[in-house]
Amino acid sequence: MSEAPIPASTAAPAATAAAVAPLLEVRDLHARVGGQTVLKGVSLAVNAGEVHAIMGPNGSGKSTLAYVLAGRPGYEIISGSASFEGRDLLSLAPEERARAGLFLGFQYPVEIPGVNNAYLLKAALNAARRERGQSELDAFEFLSLVRSKTALMHIDESFLGRGVNEGFSGGEKKRNEILQMLVLEPKLALLDETDSGLDIDALKVVANGVNSLRGAGRAIVLVTHYQRLLDHIVPDFVHVLTRGRIARSGDRTLALELERRGYDWIDGQAAA
Amino acid sequence: MRSTSNPAASTPARSSLLDRVLADYRGIAAQLPGDADSRAARARAAAHLGDLGWPSARDEQWRYTNLRALDRIGAFAPDTAAAPAATLAEVPPALPGFERLIYADGRLVSGSHGSLAADLRTGLKAAEWLPEQRLGWLCDMFATDAARLTVAGDAAIEILFINSGRASSGAAYPQLQLRCEPGSRVRLIERHLGAGAPASLVAMNITIELAREATLTHYRLQQYGRDTVFIDTLSAQIAERARYAVRSVAVGAGSARTSARVQLAGRGATLAWGGIAVGRGEQVHDISLKVEHEAPETVTEELFRGIADERSRVAFSGHIRIDARAPGAQTRQSLRGLIEGASAEIDLRPRLEILTDDVRAAHGATTGRLDEDLLFYLLARGIDRPTARSLLKWAFLSDALREIDVPALRAEAERLAAGQLPDVPDLGALA
Repeated sequence: MSEAPIPASTAAPAATAAAVAPLLEVRDLHARVGGQTVLKGVSLAVNAGEVHAIMGPNGSGKSTLAYVLAGRPGYEIISGSASFEGRDLLSLAPEERARAGLFLGFQYPVEIPGVNNAYLLKAALNAARRERGQSELDAFEFLSLVRSKTALMHIDESFLGRGVNEGFSGGEKKRNEILQMLVLEPKLALLDETDSGLDIDALKVVANGVNSLRGAGRAIVLVTHYQRLLDHIVPDFVHVLTRGRIARSGDRTLALELERRGYDWIDGQAAA
Repeated sequence: MRSTSNPAASTPARSSLLDRVLADYRGIAAQLPGDADSRAARARAAAHLGDLGWPSARDEQWRYTNLRALDRIGAFAPDTAAAPAATLAEVPPALPGFERLIYADGRLVSGSHGSLAADLRTGLKAAEWLPEQRLGWLCDMFATDAARLTVAGDAAIEILFINSGRASSGAAYPQLQLRCEPGSRVRLIERHLGAGAPASLVAMNITIELAREATLTHYRLQQYGRDTVFIDTLSAQIAERARYAVRSVAVGAGSARTSARVQLAGRGATLAWGGIAVGRGEQVHDISLKVEHEAPETVTEELFRGIADERSRVAFSGHIRIDARAPGAQTRQSLRGLIEGASAEIDLRPRLEILTDDVRAAHGATTGRLDEDLLFYLLARGIDRPTARSLLKWAFLSDALREIDVPALRAEAERLAAGQLPDVPDLGALA
């Protein structure tokens, strides 16, 4: 492999039609959390129809990037910009970003006993539908939609009546995140370490779910530490985030090379 | 006679309210129902209250009670006229399987007691109240009617206490005295409702006696209008291997104070106290519970969830005393408070007093605001902020609400709780 690193600022794949703005465009984003600057100039462009993987060692800023894009409180933007379908993403409240079609799959989904899964799904779906100018689903339409998705995710229907993630295993929580994604059908899914803590069977189920959402109108950004997820969800682009910047971008072979050579390889190159 | 023109009412001196109460009592004592024993018991109650004095906010036990709300009560004497007819718009649908008694403004208006093995009659059984229960004497002085039930075997009883706002007096003093015979299994629903007249008072006494191996589940729903001041004083004695479970939901009244004492008097006696209180506006919910472990292997499980929204105040004092006669006692106390309003207040006071070595005790008391991580999770799903906040408040109450194991009642309790939380949509799908 002698592929030259693509400069971060031009990491965006060449737009096929110059007139079409990327679905997500991040430019030179700097952000800090807890007084520490974690993102130090991230640039990234994601077009509809693409699957991107953002890889990197622990502490490189992967989750921070996901949280900043989803609008988590406590993350402060220092400079730079992020747009979603041409709108200034960073000026929107988290709920507005979600309704605009951005979905964050959490690395550590929270438990909310007392609010059942079905209620959350329905409230979230109807909020998204209202935003799109669609009518709300009635109970019957909602249930038949959800049933097809629970089957795909190997989730027992009884889960719907339980509290959100209440008493779920790690793997069940991750499958539940993907279930929510499938019901909401976002334009952009940001999946933060969705593969962590999954055994191989669960990984396949999750990958199936994610792959079922792939399509021309949508994009998926996978944040992951390990290559193995990418065996099941094959990305179009792979970016390596180290020390708060995208140090290198490439196609899926970059992930395989990382697997072989480790993140130190990128670090060594970046330092050189 | 309304005593709003009573000159004492405008005198700010600390004892003025007690003077008014005693004056009202002297004015009406001869008209209150009951035999010579009852009259003697009332007089003793008045003497006790006079000796102890009116509660003061300077007293730790009464610090959080809205005592000033009592200043606004126009007259303390109850209506002694005939009971109003049972044509009350407020009466909720009956619960399947429960026999029902209805009290309006402290008087029995509907219900039969034969099948309950109950004895309802005017009369008074004076109880001994702790200083923090001293307003129990107030009810003993003025009570016009008492439900005295003795239950053997299985029973399911619902008692409605309605503050109609139509009585000539704004003060009512219901009493409930329940004895559960050995081995009985009783479900009792005690429900307080009605808009009430402005500045009306309901002061209620409850005495409960559980004989050996009796089981009582006592559901309490308090949903009075905001014009009502509600004071309830409860005393329960639990014998060997008997179990007393309380499921309490307090959402109503402008000011409410519960003063409860439970004595676990026999080996293996158990108390399971679960309660929620939700305050909005200027509401005050103040609950004081003292549990006394007096026998070996007695058990207390206490769970309280309080939410203070807007400018409301919620207080829970849970004092558990395990004396030297109670080796092998177990207690578990879980008190949690949620502050929503900028000037709302929550005060949780767990207190464990242990006088024997052999005890297993666990307790936790936490007060805080909504968890930002949970809130962000819901927002990240596109749920608007007010709805997300209400959902989380709902979730906060859920472990207490799910203890209400009568489905129709639980639905009612959930409706009441949700009614205190703004922006909870589509309630049916929540539970």
